[in-house]
Amino acid sequence: MSMRHFSFGDSSIAFHDGQSIAAALTGAGERAFRQTGKGETRGMFCGMGVCQDCLVTVNGVPNQRACMTPAAEGLYVDRQVALPVLEDTPPPEKAAPARIVEPDVAIIGGGAAGLEAAIAARAYGASVVLLDERKIAGGQFYKQSASHAPLDGQQAEGQDLVNRAQASGAEIIRSVEVWGAFDGPLFLATVEGAALVVRPRTAIISTGAYERPRMVPGWTLPGVMTTGAAQTLWRSYRTLPGKRIAVCGSGPLNTQVALELAEGGAEVVMVADKAPPPWHAPVTSFKALASDPGLVFKGLTMMRNLQRRGIPMRYRTVLQKVEQVGDHLSAHFLTTGGDTVEMPVDAICMNDGFEPQNEILRLLGAQMRYDNTFGHLRCIRDENMETTVPNVFAAGDCAGLGGAPAARLEGMIAGRVAAEKAGFGDGYDLFAAKRRLARHRRFQTSLWKLHDIKPTFPETTAPDLIICRCEEITLAEVMSGLDSGPGHIGSLKRATRVGMGRCQGRYCGPVAARLVAQVTGRPIEDLSLFAPRVPIKPVAIASILAAHEALTDGD
Amino acid sequence: MVTDVLVIGGGIVGQVASIELARAGARVTVVDAGINAGSDANAGSLHVQMQSRFIRLYPELVPNVEASLPLYCAAADEWERMDQEIGGLELVRKGGLMLAEDPAQLDFLEGKAAREADMGLRVEMLDRPALERIAPWLGPQIIGAELCSNEGKVNPLAAGLRLRARAKDLGVRFHTDRIRDLSIGRRVKALGEKTTYDADRVVVACAWGAGDIIRSHGAAIPTKAEPLHMNITEPCAASIEQLVQHAERSLTLKQFKSGQIVIGGGWPARDSGPGRVPQVKANSLLGNVSLAAQLVPSIGHVRVLRTWAGMNTTIDGASVIGPLPGMDRVVVAIPGDAGYTLGPLVAKWAAACILGTADQTEIAQFSPARFAA
Repeated sequence: MSMRHFSFGDSSIAFHDGQSIAAALTGAGERAFRQTGKGETRGMFCGMGVCQDCLVTVNGVPNQRACMTPAAEGLYVDRQVALPVLEDTPPPEKAAPARIVEPDVAIIGGGAAGLEAAIAARAYGASVVLLDERKIAGGQFYKQSASHAPLDGQQAEGQDLVNRAQASGAEIIRSVEVWGAFDGPLFLATVEGAALVVRPRTAIISTGAYERPRMVPGWTLPGVMTTGAAQTLWRSYRTLPGKRIAVCGSGPLNTQVALELAEGGAEVVMVADKAPPPWHAPVTSFKALASDPGLVFKGLTMMRNLQRRGIPMRYRTVLQKVEQVGDHLSAHFLTTGGDTVEMPVDAICMNDGFEPQNEILRLLGAQMRYDNTFGHLRCIRDENMETTVPNVFAAGDCAGLGGAPAARLEGMIAGRVAAEKAGFGDGYDLFAAKRRLARHRRFQTSLWKLHDIKPTFPETTAPDLIICRCEEITLAEVMSGLDSGPGHIGSLKRATRVGMGRCQGRYCGPVAARLVAQVTGRPIEDLSLFAPRVPIKPVAIASILAAHEALTDGD
Repeated sequence: MVTDVLVIGGGIVGQVASIELARAGARVTVVDAGINAGSDANAGSLHVQMQSRFIRLYPELVPNVEASLPLYCAAADEWERMDQEIGGLELVRKGGLMLAEDPAQLDFLEGKAAREADMGLRVEMLDRPALERIAPWLGPQIIGAELCSNEGKVNPLAAGLRLRARAKDLGVRFHTDRIRDLSIGRRVKALGEKTTYDADRVVVACAWGAGDIIRSHGAAIPTKAEPLHMNITEPCAASIEQLVQHAERSLTLKQFKSGQIVIGGGWPARDSGPGRVPQVKANSLLGNVSLAAQLVPSIGHVRVLRTWAGMNTTIDGASVIGPLPGMDRVVVAIPGDAGYTLGPLVAKWAAACILGTADQTEIAQFSPARFAA
């Protein structure tokens, strides 16, 4: 594969086709992408456009997410400073003309649920527009590669799904940032600077989930990333996050990614899981086996392969802190017995569960309930995946964690019923799909009982622990803010600035809600979290101007 | 709960009034409903010159506003005094620009500036070269502007924290509760949802919520809640020092110390009903931010991080300050439009009414008596 180059400060960075800027920089050993207001350095963390910590300046334009921006020949990429000088930026380019689309069914998110929904809705003749944030559809489970043949069955299955969705006649628009959701529904989005306005008859939200980090001192250091970010580096870009890697948290993704990275040539020095080993819960393990022997077998094979490769899998072991030591990171783990294990690594991958990306659903007013087991909101839906907002459906993990097989079935059901509500099809029998969905949900229930999925924050009492990555707000500051207001998350936000930064409270919000609940003794509900507000993701003022011009031209 | 003075409303007015009263030795309790307080959503503009938005929306109230202009001047000065005393309010007073894009707008501003100068405001008209020197970031279509040097900006989040801390230091107690009604006799009983408050005197400082509380007590004050929305960007080094407004269109734009740019100007939000925060409307967001992008083109690459909505309060274009007719124990303190700017001064005067030190000639024109039922 031919290598090309872009510049990063004074260095020349080689990249191959399809790589993101973040992947190419990581491959070249560059981890520090930007400087914060307090002089700290940050790099890629979430790898999926959520955390906003990998911002770089590209050809003079600041605030570009390195993880979502494709590398290109001859780009001038620079580390971003805390306060970019506007006078230095080139004037916004005239974007491509705006588009207004009015499909029967709009689907937001091109992962397992969204792709199935598109295929299902198209099968009945409804016009479908699917919007995906990434350059390559497939979502976070199937993580497709722009440039390589599928690595394994999972990626091949995803490719097949993407191909079928494309063949269905659904219009799949990629690199779309949906930033506005309003009653109607009306969606406002930007596609590489051009405005996209979507006014569908029905909408299916299938925006998936993002990862819950393990907040420990040092979790903001460049080189510490979510397990999914490391997986994207490898599966989508064939880039390893480093030579020596530790993986920690809770849940099956960690084991899978550890193995994938090892197979890719990394030295995985430790997989730490906070749960006890599965053989300590034989009844639950048996229930999982009974509801889905195939997936249980896959899990057991993974464990065996880890063992074969000599990768230590430690149960009841948690990451305690991370320190920068010279040019590497030092990961401190606490084991069951109270021993501390210290390991020098290049990268640390963390996944402590998932948070649904339910911003659009909450903005549209869909009702939620708090799931105490998973520690996140679940969207209330009827058996056809319709939310409490008529003609708005939710499918997959954005409605609460359920896993990819369930997401596919939910997408299929939502797609058929959304098409029907738009006037296509005639009440196809969904019994088989619903029965399979019930089986997958039973499996999920047993699976997650084997993992310690409930958020346990605060895991540490270190007062200088960063809670809000963006605004660099510490645990001590948050705690003192709890005293100052009438005791809800809004007053805590105003008192401390927690959640006021670029990621819009996606990481600190759930933690702040739990702390407020702890102090006030009130249970967590929808209103315990930050009020949903547009923009759903930060949006360039030039893009808002373009959308405004598109919508006022016709008037 | 027994207290000397009960202050209803914990926004800018309630906070400053409670500080004044506690300083004079009173036992003060502040009770606030804890939702949709105007001050919590305020964006920190210190308005002095007449806002074109207000003139357009409420032309019949312009004479009242014009008569209040000296109050706005004094109110902005009060903010500066408070910043010197308490510190950390991030007050910047580099003036406010009202922009003109065509000769008609410039004419309008010239007329307005002349009337404002007569009322004692420090205003001047700037042509393009003069603008170039102090605001080189303005779009090329701006042909001139009125500069009002009295204007400025504060950080309302910082101010809220500082003032609350100061009040607490002085022994002021804060409660979260919603007052439903008053029972006025030898003492005043305020009926809350959680408890009843028994006070010697009461300051009604709850802005748009005040009308309902005092309706049955001799004054029908037409307080109206106006849900408005605002936008804030990520930080940048744009060096916008002034408060920026437009001669004809709804806009306020300013930059905080953090480097973030706040864009507002009174674009409507949607009321979501009692106990819920108002929702941002698509048209307001698009119109408001686009206008800012047209006037200050270099912000095009900056991203909007967040929008929010809050309640502005309008009455009849003038503040309401003073005791209810025939009931000295209950003092009303509602600044009205641009209430955040007026807040500290209105609060001081209301506190003076409670303490019996008010300058009657100064406050007579703001008396609730004009709404006597």
